[in-house]
Amino acid sequence: MSGGGGETVDQRRRRLEALALPYLGDLYRVAVRLTGRSQDAEDLVQETYIKALAAFPALREPDRIRPWLLKILGRLVLDRHRAPAREVAVGDLAELDRFSLYDLVWDEDPLPYSDNLHRDFLAQFPDDDVRRALLALPEVYRVPLVLLYVEELSYRDLADALGCPVGTVMSRLHRARKILERELWDCAKRRGFVRGGEA
Amino acid sequence: MTRLSCEKAVGQFFAYLDRALAGEALADLEAHLEACLSCCDKLAFSRQLDDFVKARLPEDTLPAGLEARIRRALSRQAAEP
Repeated sequence: MSGGGGETVDQRRRRLEALALPYLGDLYRVAVRLTGRSQDAEDLVQETYIKALAAFPALREPDRIRPWLLKILGRLVLDRHRAPAREVAVGDLAELDRFSLYDLVWDEDPLPYSDNLHRDFLAQFPDDDVRRALLALPEVYRVPLVLLYVEELSYRDLADALGCPVGTVMSRLHRARKILERELWDCAKRRGFVRGGEA
Repeated sequence: MTRLSCEKAVGQFFAYLDRALAGEALADLEAHLEACLSCCDKLAFSRQLDDFVKARLPEDTLPAGLEARIRRALSRQAAEP
């Protein structure tokens, strides 16, 4: 149990620091991948700990403090950007679900002498383009994808962290990858890697 | 052919890669993959794309002063009435 009884706020702070600060590196690693900027990541991590101090008495399982902190961090990002426009920005969802970077690359065949077309197509992208594509994802898709990539959480743990059903996690992770594919295709057109036939 | 269409199979690739499929859904997809070379290639690309993006996630070392900054912020917060 955390909190309760006659614990002062300062005692609670010291207990939180002892339990939660060992995970500072883990939180920062996730934060920097979610925000793409060191300064933003530092702010996000600090906000996470402040929020954790207030919520600490509600923590029922101190040995689960790491996922609890990640949940707070993820929800802070989602709450901060809870703007309907970002959901709409991904466009027609049925069309997005059908988008296939594999098919587009196959159909256009931009590297006719390649013996591994799709691998060589991807290899053309500078690292920064890939990071930009990831950051272009609306938070509602980026948060579960980064938590999956970095923390390798199960869908059930992701659903718990994000406060949504497992089915929602599944569809968001599917769409997150589809948006990434579309971003990379758009980037390939801008860079002249492909002519840019549409799906 | 199996019961699963290619369109339905493709729609489950990411859940499959994330080890989130089980039971009949998993068996149906695996049966489809055994019979469909095109879907196998598409699945391999999905896995390749995941690995490609993961390998390019921004890396950053923990800033030296961050722990002290957070301790100060928590102390300030705890001191608030």
